Amino acid sequence: MSITDRINLRQDRRQWIKTSASLVGGSVLPLSAAAATAPALQEKPEGTMEPVPKPGAGAAKGSGRFFTPAQHAYVEELSETIIPADSHSGGAKAAKVADYIDQRLHDSQDEEEKAMWHEGMRLVDLMSKHFHKKSFVESSGEERIEVLKVLSDNAQMQELPEVRFFQALKHMTTQGYYTSKIGIHDELEYKGNRILQEYAGCDDPTPPSNA
Amino acid sequence: MSLPILMTESKTDSTEVADLTKTYDAVIVGSGAAGGMASHVLTSHGMKVLLLEAGKKLDIEQELRSMEWPYDNKHRGSLPPDQHALTFNEYTIRRPPYGPGFEKSKQLHSYIGDTDYTKNICVEERDNPYTGTNYAWVRARCLGGKTNIWGRLALRLSDFDFKAKDRDGFGENWPIRYSDLSPYYDKVDLYLGITGVKENLPHLPDSIFQRPTKLNCAEVTLKQSLAKMGRTLTQYRAGVTSDGLKHNKYRSRCYGRGACERKGGCDIHAAFDSPTGLIYPARDTGNLTIRTNAVVREVAVDPATGKATGVHFVDAITKRDYTVKAKVVIVAASTLESARLLLLSKSKMHPNGLGNSSGHVGHNFCEHIMGPGVYGRVKDLVGKPPTLDDGRPGGFYLTRFRNLQEKHPKFIRGYGFEGGAGCAMFPHGTDRPGFGADFKEEIRKNQGAYIGMGAFGEVLARYENFVDLDSTVKDKWGIPALRFHYKFGENEHAMAADMAETAQEMFNEAGFEIVHVTKRALTEGWSIHELGTARMGDDPKKSVLNQFEQSHDVKNLFVVDGSAFVNASCQNPTWTIMALCWRSCDYLADEFKKGNL
Repeated sequence: MSITDRINLRQDRRQWIKTSASLVGGSVLPLSAAAATAPALQEKPEGTMEPVPKPGAGAAKGSGRFFTPAQHAYVEELSETIIPADSHSGGAKAAKVADYIDQRLHDSQDEEEKAMWHEGMRLVDLMSKHFHKKSFVESSGEERIEVLKVLSDNAQMQELPEVRFFQALKHMTTQGYYTSKIGIHDELEYKGNRILQEYAGCDDPTPPSNA
Repeated sequence: MSLPILMTESKTDSTEVADLTKTYDAVIVGSGAAGGMASHVLTSHGMKVLLLEAGKKLDIEQELRSMEWPYDNKHRGSLPPDQHALTFNEYTIRRPPYGPGFEKSKQLHSYIGDTDYTKNICVEERDNPYTGTNYAWVRARCLGGKTNIWGRLALRLSDFDFKAKDRDGFGENWPIRYSDLSPYYDKVDLYLGITGVKENLPHLPDSIFQRPTKLNCAEVTLKQSLAKMGRTLTQYRAGVTSDGLKHNKYRSRCYGRGACERKGGCDIHAAFDSPTGLIYPARDTGNLTIRTNAVVREVAVDPATGKATGVHFVDAITKRDYTVKAKVVIVAASTLESARLLLLSKSKMHPNGLGNSSGHVGHNFCEHIMGPGVYGRVKDLVGKPPTLDDGRPGGFYLTRFRNLQEKHPKFIRGYGFEGGAGCAMFPHGTDRPGFGADFKEEIRKNQGAYIGMGAFGEVLARYENFVDLDSTVKDKWGIPALRFHYKFGENEHAMAADMAETAQEMFNEAGFEIVHVTKRALTEGWSIHELGTARMGDDPKKSVLNQFEQSHDVKNLFVVDGSAFVNASCQNPTWTIMALCWRSCDYLADEFKKGNL
């Protein structure tokens, strides 16, 4: 039975939000604290096809300007959970979706949107700790899916910031992924945007005549 | 295969300078479809013409960048986040002017300016305020205007439209019939190029088409199913040259490169735009002078004769005021801007605005209602290898079927659907529920299986839908703003409900799985097909212009854009604007030579 089936998000969220408030006084510390103690960012969810980065590759990550390096690593895992690598093509991480999101948020004039991302990331991490005793980054692929599924399955609860965050995350991830080289060429194998001799189309049994 | 070398405009802008000391044979206000066509026709008759454009001349290929990959663009083709384009909700909830509340955005655009390719073509909303009822007014102030980004659907009107009053008693008939305009549609077809398929429909006459592109499989399925219902689906009739135009060195034939669905124009100009299709060839005659950044604020009038003597304009950059003299004034500033200019041009002899003795300027304002539609999935196509479905100027057009032979009990007039199916650069279905491996795979497997269509219907031309001036609000150049008094009525709402119903019915009949039905109409103005604010007619008491788009009141004043329309029909207006304009300018040049103007 999945988490979604056994909880009422609207009511039960108090449990993990309260816990966090009593522990750290409601500050944004949980996120940075979790990231600081995250043992191995390069740890991959099971079953993904992405090669494990070489030691040191993580240093280039987080070069964006909205997210801290730890937040950047967290968004990479969030986006990869939305669009994972599979046997067909690379996922959001390989397509550098976190860089795209970082750029969009950095350039955004919308302070509410920026705050919503920070708040959403904090709340997702609290959920992860509540259900799995681990930060989102430390969790396994299956555990990550379990947490995001709660938000995906409760899409109608628009008043909850974590639900709105999930939708923004999903929207930004699909936007970033399907406009990337990997998304367009490897995943979708898009055939256009090149000079064409003749449009193939379909054989119409009643072919048109302009005669 | 190699691409032909196209003549491109020099990057140095010579369009800022014009000799304002001489008297031109004609001055044209506006450089879109109408102003471009007037330039072409009048210069071909040997008249010396000055063309005024309120905006600048853009380096348009640099704006459009039709083959740029999203990942090579800093914002993946989206609007930079420090700019904002108005959304459906904002248009619906807020009342115009739409400037207040967006102070943080460096630029504020209409909804069509929401891409990196269209942002500089559309105006800054805050420089160009308007008031009154909600209206998504899209304006493109630059050489060529909205033709730089138009949707390219190029349809003819028929006597079902020109003589619509004879059929249902509503409104007025046009002062012309199809046979008057048909030769001019032919000229437009041949001069600018159009792709499509002959269907021999009385309500949607055929053009002289160049090579058509094929429908794809989902579209053929729908076409065959519709044929059984007595309805016609045909290839998108696009104002795009598929065979090329030997007489035009600025335009290439269509190479089906794909990504044509991207809002924005065509940087090889296979799709018609006014500069390469009309204005540059007109300038090559030596008879055309172009002055950009010229915001016309008034048509000048001789107080003794009441005739037009030229125009007053403000330089958009320096805000200096200029006057230029001309023997004939041609207003082609777009339906709403043309009405505004006439209303602004008040004088002793024309106290209600120029050419407005009838009181009809600004009234009978009409357009197309859009929004209702359907999109669905063709199950047979799920999981098939990706196809190239956007390497063509458009998908399909489903022609009008209401109020042709029988009478609909709830509304008069008709609507058609624009649609398409298949793969696109950005996949359909990313709004599906869920996430993760299944989500990704479903998007991939379904990318070629989607088919969608949306309706465009006639909004009745009613006197009580109108625009006037709001002198309490002024634009950046101190010119009074336009105020809207405009709402969809009962007929439109009944028609919109029918659109959503028939759309579902037709998809069900074709065996498509319906994924989403849109019942709600978009905000007034969304179709960007505003028409009718200075309508033609035989009776000067009930119309502004005669059948040659000549003012009943002022002989040497012509209004040659969409404002001349008597009703909106349900067909997209650009081709008709140009055919009418060609006919009117032939008449104008003839009268000019005879000394009758």
